[in-house]
Amino acid sequence: MTTPQTMDSAVAVPTHKLLESPTSRAIEIFDWIITVSTNPISNAADCDALHAALGFPLPEMTFGSNFLSIEHRPSKWKYDFATLEALRGVKNGELGEGDGGVKVGHADAWLRSRTDPSSSLPMPKTVPTKPYDWTYTTTYSGHPGVWTPHSTTDGDASSEAGSRPASPIDETPPREWSWTPADPSNATHTIPLAELSRPDPILFYAEVPLFEDELHDNGAAHLLVRVRVMPTCLFVLARFTLRVDGVLFRIRDTRMYASFSSGPPMVVREASGWEAPYVRVKGALTRRDDLSPLTDSNFIAKVLTGMPREASQGIGASTGWRGLGTTLEVAVLG
Amino acid sequence: MRNPATSIRDIPAALRHCFTRSFLLRLGPRVLEVGEEKLTSACQLHLAMPSDLDEQIARLKDCQLISEEQVKRLCFKAREILLEEGNVQHIDSPVTICGDIHGQFYDLMELFSVGGFCPDTNYLFMGDFVDRGFFSVETFLLLLALKVRYPERITLIRGNHESRQITQVYGFYDECQRKYGGSNVWRWCCEVFDYLALGAVVDGRVFGVHGGLSPNLHSIDQARALKQEVPHDGPMCDLLWSDPDDIQGWGLSPRGAGYLFGPDITKQFAHNNALDLIARAHQLAMEGYKLMFDRTIVTVWSAPNYCYRCGNVASILELDENLGQEYKVFSAAAIGPMSTPAKRPPADYFL
Repeated sequence: MTTPQTMDSAVAVPTHKLLESPTSRAIEIFDWIITVSTNPISNAADCDALHAALGFPLPEMTFGSNFLSIEHRPSKWKYDFATLEALRGVKNGELGEGDGGVKVGHADAWLRSRTDPSSSLPMPKTVPTKPYDWTYTTTYSGHPGVWTPHSTTDGDASSEAGSRPASPIDETPPREWSWTPADPSNATHTIPLAELSRPDPILFYAEVPLFEDELHDNGAAHLLVRVRVMPTCLFVLARFTLRVDGVLFRIRDTRMYASFSSGPPMVVREASGWEAPYVRVKGALTRRDDLSPLTDSNFIAKVLTGMPREASQGIGASTGWRGLGTTLEVAVLG
Repeated sequence: MRNPATSIRDIPAALRHCFTRSFLLRLGPRVLEVGEEKLTSACQLHLAMPSDLDEQIARLKDCQLISEEQVKRLCFKAREILLEEGNVQHIDSPVTICGDIHGQFYDLMELFSVGGFCPDTNYLFMGDFVDRGFFSVETFLLLLALKVRYPERITLIRGNHESRQITQVYGFYDECQRKYGGSNVWRWCCEVFDYLALGAVVDGRVFGVHGGLSPNLHSIDQARALKQEVPHDGPMCDLLWSDPDDIQGWGLSPRGAGYLFGPDITKQFAHNNALDLIARAHQLAMEGYKLMFDRTIVTVWSAPNYCYRCGNVASILELDENLGQEYKVFSAAAIGPMSTPAKRPPADYFL
């Protein structure tokens, strides 16, 4: 269906097509197709398969079939955000330098109470358990997808199947591309906040959770991908948020922006990481006895990004995590 | 354990209405020693409230709040009843075992419509009544009112969310503040949490516990000695927090605190305590329940569409008179304008 909107706005709403199935939605606009799929958490069989592929226990809520896919038809560029690949970014094995590994806040007290010679709670003989990053920290910034020709390309989706000959399959391979560091002197190599702040109509909006874990009530880790398609651009924010109670807060954001009017077509990607000790963020609460804002990733992000850069992007929570800092890259598609 | 030294006919009629037959038989000799007069007056403690309580239950069943004063009395009454109970409650079959509810009130109503309302069905709830859902207050108060009204028909054991620390982070504290304009209700409820049993044994053969086992507790009897605010160490914490895992023996959680236990540990514990089954909650299961280790342990999960977005089904475990197991699976309630938030989040100008 075509939905030209007549809204009182500064920009004209371009022609676009919205597609919907029970588990997925898509928008076709200019040369782009943006598709999201949101589903229940994975069932036992799917979890077993994911577990086998990854080799460590899955987050409690693993949305194994969810994804966001962005395609640029002329260049056959495809870029995805998906659960399995995001979890591949989680350290599997002993944590080392740069991994930013932490223990729960009461770990020392817990261990001491059981290993103290006078302990009334002697620790039993234990077997080694699988080492992995139980905080599910990932610096995943999406991954290149595999281009497959679309059945709905070019023109009128409402035309009857078979009413015209299928267009010959375009055998030309997708164009080569890569992420390159943004050029600070190039004004288009940036994410234009002014344009994104403009109250233009949102033509397509989705929130795609990839995984979530409550760290056994020691905090929370989640990765949520959001996308909005505007009359002039598309914008993605994939945000990993981590709270370890009494220990730290950590955020890793990936923002992707593509203007529909840039020539040649180009995607800007900004990846940033922040960290702060738990007490720093807790100190920003307005009501001291209400800790619920600490479960709100918008609040956490506001506090972390509002701190001096050298604090939240330099020292962080002194874990040595490699995800701190910001990188800005561009990919030219044609 | 049992001492059926008396006939049911010797028991005052008023008591017979309050309690189950098996409970009274267990109580047998004591009933006769104390004498009918005293017992009846003790019993009036329970009987004094019913009409008022029934009214409160009716309100709560409609997801309406009761007054702060009523909450105060309810919590006081509940503490009296719980104080009499052991740390590990012995209960009789038939009974329906339920896992985490997490304040999903309308889904609890769905659970009751699937399993039968209390007191027609006996229930064992294995903790995590509060936090995360929108109606922790109504959910917990309803369960508590049922406990006070039908103490022998419903058993509530403690989950790791029944704690001051956890409820301050995961929503119950905030919800009490919002709905009652202060923290009294939260405080009274937390006091009740401290009196909740840590486990329950059905007919001596099925052990119900929120989390799992502890290396420092070899027998169910040892667990009776525990009672305190949930600390971050000690066997009490293990019962509320530990998880079964595919390892041999005991393992340390990679988080730095807490235990994992394997099939050998589970089977050994079941054998030592002459158990058929260990029923626990605590971990989300997409299918509503998950049997492990040759059916010696089962995870029962009773919060469908957990956090209103997981899309999972929930289950309850019905144990019949012979401890035959039937898992009844159910989905999220359709009713209630507030039972689930809008399916699609509103468009947001995120940056």
